[in-house]
Amino acid sequence: MTGPPLIHVVDDDESLRTALLRLLSAAGFEAKGYSSTGDFLMNLPPDRSGCVLLDVRMPGPSGLDLQTALERRGTALPVVFLTGHADVRSSVRAMKAGAVDFLTKPVKKDVLLDALGRALAVDAAQRAAREEAALLRTRFAALTPRERKVFDRIVAGKLNKQIAGELGIAERTVKAERAQVMVKLGVGSAAELGQLAERLRRLSGG
Amino acid sequence: MTALRKSRIHEVILGAALLAAIGLPAAAAEPRRNVIVLYAYGRLVPANTEADRELRKAVASSTDRPVTVFDEFLDAPVFGGPSYHRAFAAYLREKYGSRKPGVLVAFGKEALEFFLDTRPDLFPGVPIVHGAVVGSALRSRLPLPEDVFGVPVEYDFERTVDQALRWHPASRRLVLVTGASAWDREWEAQVRKVAARFQARVSIEFLSALSAAELTRRLGELGGDAVVFSPGYFQDGAGNASVPREAAEAIARASSAPAYAPFETFLGTGFVGGYMPNFETMGRQAGQIVRVLLNGVAPATLRLPESTPNTLNVDWRQVTRWGIAKSSIPKDAIVHFRAATFLEQHPVMLATVAAVILLQATLIGGLMFQRRRRHEAERAVAKQRFELAHASRLAVAGELTASIAHEINQPLGAILSNADAADLILDLGGDRREEVRAILSDIRRDDLRASEVVRRLRTLLAKHPLESLPFELNEVANEVEFALQPEARRRGITLEVHPAGSPATIVGDRVHVQQLLINLLVNAMDAVADVPDERRVVEVFVEAEVGKVEITVRDHGRGIAPEHLPKLFDSFFTTKSKGMGLGLSIARTIVQAHGGRITAENGPGEGAAFHVFLPIAGQAEIPLPEPG
Repeated sequence: MTGPPLIHVVDDDESLRTALLRLLSAAGFEAKGYSSTGDFLMNLPPDRSGCVLLDVRMPGPSGLDLQTALERRGTALPVVFLTGHADVRSSVRAMKAGAVDFLTKPVKKDVLLDALGRALAVDAAQRAAREEAALLRTRFAALTPRERKVFDRIVAGKLNKQIAGELGIAERTVKAERAQVMVKLGVGSAAELGQLAERLRRLSGG
Repeated sequence: MTALRKSRIHEVILGAALLAAIGLPAAAAEPRRNVIVLYAYGRLVPANTEADRELRKAVASSTDRPVTVFDEFLDAPVFGGPSYHRAFAAYLREKYGSRKPGVLVAFGKEALEFFLDTRPDLFPGVPIVHGAVVGSALRSRLPLPEDVFGVPVEYDFERTVDQALRWHPASRRLVLVTGASAWDREWEAQVRKVAARFQARVSIEFLSALSAAELTRRLGELGGDAVVFSPGYFQDGAGNASVPREAAEAIARASSAPAYAPFETFLGTGFVGGYMPNFETMGRQAGQIVRVLLNGVAPATLRLPESTPNTLNVDWRQVTRWGIAKSSIPKDAIVHFRAATFLEQHPVMLATVAAVILLQATLIGGLMFQRRRRHEAERAVAKQRFELAHASRLAVAGELTASIAHEINQPLGAILSNADAADLILDLGGDRREEVRAILSDIRRDDLRASEVVRRLRTLLAKHPLESLPFELNEVANEVEFALQPEARRRGITLEVHPAGSPATIVGDRVHVQQLLINLLVNAMDAVADVPDERRVVEVFVEAEVGKVEITVRDHGRGIAPEHLPKLFDSFFTTKSKGMGLGLSIARTIVQAHGGRITAENGPGEGAAFHVFLPIAGQAEIPLPEPG
């Protein structure tokens, strides 16, 4: 399972990295340091909640590239950027790419902890959304092929009678299948079923 | 039959149990800590972004008590009407079906009205917090439900007009500009009421519901004895739609008299200013109420201020334009757009330009007496050129500001975080002396690191008398690499320095040779600024030969245009938009002063190369300036 959130500190400056790790650990966070983005990607635990505190200007792939790489892996951890000097162009790019915040060194403790707190909240929210999606998919996968056909037709707004005709089964069987579908998907009304269909459609990228 | 029914009941029970088990995580998502913020106007309206930022800060989401803030935009007054509101309500119902809000926030009158109308169906029982709603609009909806909270806005335009008349004591006319929509008419009614109070001091004129063209003409004819006040408008007399800020721009452009307004968002359009409630404050107040409500505090205990305070805002450029006495601006006024003077903005450039102009003028003067006083003139030229080199160093330092800031902020950041960590560690108690000692030692080290950066910068910038001493060229190459590596990294350029295999000692001025290399390298880095990554390489080679050393600086940029080659080392010849055209001319001066020569060529494949030849232990054939 995911465990307590872990803050990944990626900065090539060893002295600064050590200072940040000390500060985070003294503030009660679990934190781990990496000297480069590559090092971080190689050692990234598969499914652990957390966020990334990232120096913008790193040798090798830059902080901004890392953000993209994380997203491609499907482990989109929220990123808080830290920079030696804030130039407008890179901060705009980072924020556009979805960074939680863009902080300038030296960074005050409260500002840093506040940004990381927000990043962790974003992570928690994203995780909850992913779990909800997984749950929906599991439930949907439990439908038999015929229940799925019935489901498709209910959400297309068809009446029991029409469904019975199209599938060549008795209307009573349609009713029973319909009840099964609602139970398996955990919904109480046809309207909720419609909402769920919409959510599923969005999740499957339709 | 019975068997069938039983099995179905089984399935139902099993299904329910399964759902209860897997349904748990969804239930733990604390649905009551969602907040929906509905803004009356569009997403990019400046007032919204300002309010939103402060609102989110004040809501104070934390890891243990997370709050999620969702933003919605009603896009009034462009969109409106019952059918749009129905569709919008349906959209909200669908969207937030599984994210039930704990609090609703309405920003602006239209948003509040929308929530008041739709809440019973949409989010029954969810409290509403409002912001940026005018007191009069609230009074028209009395009595408000008990669970609607917020700080009303009162626009204090009487004080604005009063202030304007004091700033322009010669004014005899107060001109009020309003529009034709319902919103505009409401403002007109209020403005009329207030304007009546100034009848004794000035004559009152209304420019209401005119077409934009007519309004422009009338405003242009106002002349020196008028003061304009306007809340902008959503529609002109010809029926053309606008938004108040756009209207304000047009009014300010057309007006031949100073214009004042009640809205903060008009600043920058050309309006002078006025007493304005601050949108950030409104956002903060709404956010604070949300936080209190989410924490379950009894709403009755909320002590809300009667209205958002108005503060005086002025646009400094307008203050200057209309000749308002600067001493008459109250100390607590918020001054916008006070630009730094040219000197404040570009001290390095100004110093450089001034130095260059001054020195060049002297130089020309010196050359005029060349025939008679050749020797003295040459001496002066040499001296001046080296002073030019100093000026150019300042310019280079300007270019390097970003990397210098990075280099200094790195240790400063570590120091600050270390000190904060030590604070927290001491709070934790126990004997953690070793840890704190380690932190202190790191702080000392980083402090020295920062001062080393400053020292290097001083060496680069210091003016110093010309020296003629032996020094090791390889060392200088390494120093320059050390100084420029951060800048190269910032620009995504690979900088490679290859010192000579054997010692390369020359006699001359170490700092000036350093400068020579920096000029050539910055030049080379500029040359690869817009080529693909694999070509963003700059190389320096130092080679010691019999009797001389050769320094080569090679880039992989686009090369030098053939027609530019002959003029390359001339003063003020440049192909760069920002360059001064001095880097290479100074480089040549320095090389010649050391009895060497410099050449440029295009590389065999791509890019350009600069070759510098300096005599080993050479007698510097320079007319050295006399001491003093």
